[in-house]
Amino acid sequence: MRSIISRMAPLVLGALVCLALLGCNVIRVSFNTSLGPEDVTFIVPGKTTLSEVVAKLGAPDSIIDSDTGVVATYRFFDVKYSRVNFGWLAKPWTPVDPDLIFSRTGLGVDAFQILCDSRWVVLHQEFQRHLIRPPFHPYPFQ
Amino acid sequence: MKSVRSIYTLLILTILIQGCAFSRGTLGDEIKSDTVAALQKGITTKDEVLRLLGAPDRLLPLNGRDVFQYYRYDAKAGSLLLIILNFSRLSIKSDDLFVILNRDGIVEDVIASKRTEALAFRFWPFGE
Repeated sequence: MRSIISRMAPLVLGALVCLALLGCNVIRVSFNTSLGPEDVTFIVPGKTTLSEVVAKLGAPDSIIDSDTGVVATYRFFDVKYSRVNFGWLAKPWTPVDPDLIFSRTGLGVDAFQILCDSRWVVLHQEFQRHLIRPPFHPYPFQ
Repeated sequence: MKSVRSIYTLLILTILIQGCAFSRGTLGDEIKSDTVAALQKGITTKDEVLRLLGAPDRLLPLNGRDVFQYYRYDAKAGSLLLIILNFSRLSIKSDDLFVILNRDGIVEDVIASKRTEALAFRFWPFGE
């Protein structure tokens, strides 16, 4: 009896995994490399220059003028989308095309800005939204 | 025996490749490294910049100076479509070049980076 169960276990597990993945889509869209606080620890306001920042992080996406100096902005996003259609479970047994869809999108849009003085020395640095990386699960009720 | 294994390998590869999709999109002209290297601080003039790179995508006034911005975007998408289970990933990166010109129209600074060189086709959406 035990041997039958042990033989069947991988099959049952495989079937459960297949059922859980029915009609499943996972999509990710990323723009530039996401930056985190750990990536910008080398920047010391009042000391670090824009050239040093560019040497480590690359060129910013935009540079604009402000009354108190120059603002360089690094933009990035990491969008995650996942979707499961449980309607697939009923497809073999119904004449209609049923859908029961759970989906979720996480928009991880953020930017890192640095304010430099006229000598290109960094005065301030901050993230716009303090991005928390969105989860990769389709359950929308949480 | 070897031929049977080869047939199986070919069959598996054919099945896997059938569900793959690759697409790519670009915006703007390539910013060549040689051209960027030709821009010399304190020497190159505005006319030479325009001759080398063409008209900028954006012209920014910055603290009494002119900044020419050139950019290029590259997007690569890969998909693994297994009918009941699909994975897709679209990665976009940009090359940016800022040429800062002083009041006399001479290049004061050049800020450039090529992010698209490391851009690869990926379909696996998890991880980095």
